[in-house]
This record gives sequence, structure tokens and C-alpha cells, in this order.
Amino acid sequence: MHVGIRAMAEDLVLDTAIRDWVLIPLSVVMVLIGVLRYFVSMLLCSSQTPDAKIVKEGQVILRARNLRTGANFVPSKSFRLRKIYFCNEENGLLFVPKGQVQNPQAQMFSDPNMAMDMMKKNLSMIIPQTLTFAWVNFFFSGFVAAKIPFPLTQRFRSMLQNGIDLSTVDVSYVSSRSWYFLNLFGLRGLFSLILGEENAVDDTQRMMQMGGFGFDPSKGLSAEKDNIDITQHDWALPYCEQRAEAVLRKVIS
Amino acid sequence: MAVHSDSASSGKKSSNGPNELLTFNAENMQNNMKIIYYSRTFLSIIGGVVAGILGFTGLKGFVFYLLLMGLTSLGLVAKAGFSTHTYFDSWNRVLLDGFLGGLMSFVLFWTFAYDIVHIF
Repeated sequence: MHVGIRAMAEDLVLDTAIRDWVLIPLSVVMVLIGVLRYFVSMLLCSSQTPDAKIVKEGQVILRARNLRTGANFVPSKSFRLRKIYFCNEENGLLFVPKGQVQNPQAQMFSDPNMAMDMMKKNLSMIIPQTLTFAWVNFFFSGFVAAKIPFPLTQRFRSMLQNGIDLSTVDVSYVSSRSWYFLNLFGLRGLFSLILGEENAVDDTQRMMQMGGFGFDPSKGLSAEKDNIDITQHDWALPYCEQRAEAVLRKVIS
Repeated sequence: MAVHSDSASSGKKSSNGPNELLTFNAENMQNNMKIIYYSRTFLSIIGGVVAGILGFTGLKGFVFYLLLMGLTSLGLVAKAGFSTHTYFDSWNRVLLDGFLGGLMSFVLFWTFAYDIVHIF
């Protein structure tokens, strides 16, 4: 592959073969790998019979949350009734005696199914990326692959042009490694359109999910209890009869 | 554009008269958010290709992207009948959501189209 330099301008004329054999195949491969990853994750997701206790706790939390959001629409007495039901010290639903608070993380790691699932998700994310990156580096290094249409400072040179050893070439001319990274970030939007509804969760989002592990069950109950405790009741429908009357009048007339 | 035609911003939230109390139907809100996201992504991709073919470089390209996002917001507001408060809970959602997500797709397709048309 040759790079021909025209005498006066700084524009490089790049070989058409680069376009045919580098840019397009790389993008196509990344799209296909993304689709493949999606299908593989669909096939591999093992159905896990959920633990009854955890489901029960989850539902209690949901109920408490609904109470909190809808608190202003029930009369004050009903709200207090429900609040006591949830937060009562002796047998309220959300009250967990100190000794029984289970550590979810220990539980999670000791449960083999969940550990396997996590590992599978991690692997299915990391392996295609690593493989593709290695492939790009091996085959497509050492030449200019593309020109990015906007100018960048000299600092980006080492990052974007790592295979190219000429220091006089404009920083806009990048190597194929940076084309790979550009694709990595830019194809997220495309995946969400193709694969429908955020199924194409990309790596950065997944990594953020992995990082923040706060699992609901442990702190969930006491957090919900505190939240309900501080919820004030503010009756939102004080003139509901008058308003209903107005609406009905409008409808009838 | 398929995305626009079959996606009516759905679901109002009810607003109670004199008390100005707004309630949200969470599911509909989510649906509306999704629609915004799809519109933005689709338009960034198309806009990227257009910018590349037209040969925008540097700042012009980014200005074009900003224009595009402004157009998207305008279109969404018009579709919502200029009363965004019945469909979304704050102005920021309509105007700014999905802004940066579309940027990466825009840059990718801009680079792609620009290279294919102008450099090679």
C-alpha cells in the first residue's frame, strides 16, 4: 500500500485498497461481532430459579416504594395505617433485626449460579474486544488508515498514530487502531437501533454496572424503612369533590 | 423516517387543576425518553454521513451537529404539540438528552463518509 504525497498540498492521497480492505471490513466485522455477542448472550442466559425469600423481599420493597410515591393520594389515616404496618418496631414488614442482616456479597459469591453468570457476562464482553484488538494490531498496523475531519493538537499524535513513524504527517491522519476505537464508541448508537431497546449494552455501561454492586436485599429494607419514616403526608386532593363536579359539568355540557 | 412516523409521543401525565400537582406515569415517561433517544441516534448517523459527503471539516462539522440537535429538539417539541409539560417532566429532557451519545456516532459516520468521498 503506497502513500503518495502531492508536492504542494498537505493532503495525502491514500490508496483505494486501504478503503476497501481496512476501513470497511473493520466496521463490518465489529458490527457482526456485536450482533453475534447479542445472540450468544441470549442463548447462554441460564434460567435461574430465584430464591423465594429474595423475591419476597423484593416485592416488599416495591410495595413500600409505591406507598411512598402514592402517599399523597390516600387519606391521612390510611397512610398512617400503612406506615405503621411497614415500620412497626416489632413486626413491621421492613424491620430487620440486626443479627439477621445477611451480607449479600458473601451470599452472591458462594452461590455458584450467580458467580457463573457474572463470569460469563464478563467473558462475553472482554473476549471479543481483546481478540478484535489483537487482530487489528497484527494485520493493520504501520500505515495511515483514515483522516479524521477535524484538527487535533500535537498531544494526540502518540495516541492516534502509533504505527506511523513519520513525525511530519498531520495528526489528522490516524492509524487503524484509532479507527478501531472510533468504531467501538460510535457503533453503540447503531447497535441500539438494530438490536432494539438498549439490548446493545456496550462495554462502558457494563463496566459501570459491574463496578457499583449495591445489591438490593441487604440495605434495601432498612433504606426503605427510613424513607417511609421521613415521608410527610400532604393530602393532594383536598378539593376533589369540587374538581370532579367541574369536570363532570364540562363533560355534560 | 420510520422512527418518526410510528412513534407518537405517548401518554400524558395528569395535572390536577388548582394545586398544580403533577403526577407521572412512569412507563409512558420511559417510552417517551426512548423515542427521543432513537430519534437523536438515527439523526446523528444520517447527519454524520451528510456532513462527510458535503466535506465539512473541523468546526463546521460540529456546528452542523449542533444545528442537527437543535432541529431534533424542535421537531420533538412540535410533535408534542408545543406543550412539553404534558409529556416530559422538564425542558432539559427534550433539549439535552442523548446529546453526547449521538456525538460519537456522528463523528464515526462523519469520518467514514468524509474519507470515502474525499480522501480515497
